[in-house]
Amino acid sequence: MISESVSRRRVLFAVAAAPLAVACTTEPPAPPPPDPLSALAAQARADAKLAQSLTSVPAAAEIAKARETHAGLLQAEVDRERPPLSSTAPPAPTSPPTPPDPLAALRTALDEAVRDASTLVASLPSYRAGLVGSVAAGCASLREVLA
Amino acid sequence: MNVDAVQTALGTEHAALWTYGLVSAFLGNQAAAVAEGANAHRARRDTTERWLRDKGATPNPPAAAYLPPAPVSDGPSALTALAAVEQDTCAAWHGVLERTDDAALRASALEALTTAAVRATRWRKAAGTNPASITMPGVASG
Repeated sequence: MISESVSRRRVLFAVAAAPLAVACTTEPPAPPPPDPLSALAAQARADAKLAQSLTSVPAAAEIAKARETHAGLLQAEVDRERPPLSSTAPPAPTSPPTPPDPLAALRTALDEAVRDASTLVASLPSYRAGLVGSVAAGCASLREVLA
Repeated sequence: MNVDAVQTALGTEHAALWTYGLVSAFLGNQAAAVAEGANAHRARRDTTERWLRDKGATPNPPAAAYLPPAPVSDGPSALTALAAVEQDTCAAWHGVLERTDDAALRASALEALTTAAVRATRWRKAAGTNPASITMPGVASG
């Protein structure tokens, strides 16, 4: 009889203590994973920069402007959901070395932008799916201008 | 509500098909591109009607006629009408994309939005519209 009650007490204690032990040993929560829209915004900024360097291509200015708009809209959504701690602007993209064929590089970059944004749409909440889906369609439109 | 947004999108598919039929007489030199666009909208209309029936809804029938934003009387006005109807299609599918968590419907809406944006760009380019591209297809301010 006694041993049974002790055993029950032990069980109850163990059950009550377990979460406590966990709480005492867990590390502080890891920083949240980066917002997937940040990568799309960075991609858009890089494309705008590449397009700006193509002064000889008539459509390049239009593409640079559109990709800057995309970057601004995506970054605004990133900052809305997770306001930046400081007011520092996102780091300016470091200038990659100019590719040997910048026009081909821009075509490839736009193809990648369509693909990356389209892939992401499936995993986003619906209010973000509209924004990112429109960016994907906008990049497909820019690609058609260069076709 | 998904069904309402999809019915709206179906309405723009009906309007697009009707417009492609209307303009074909004025764009004989671009018959292949016109046929491609018409076929794409016909296929999208069919899958959209099927989706609605699967959800127990009755697909809205097409109207007897549609009013293009400007009268169509020659090649340039035909291109303008096509660009306009493709952009209406973009707006309707963007509306679906914003309202659904159904993975298959979302994929279909994204494809419809993207292909309509590409066709709109093609027609704007043919018409000499500047810029030919659409920065944010389907978004009112874009």
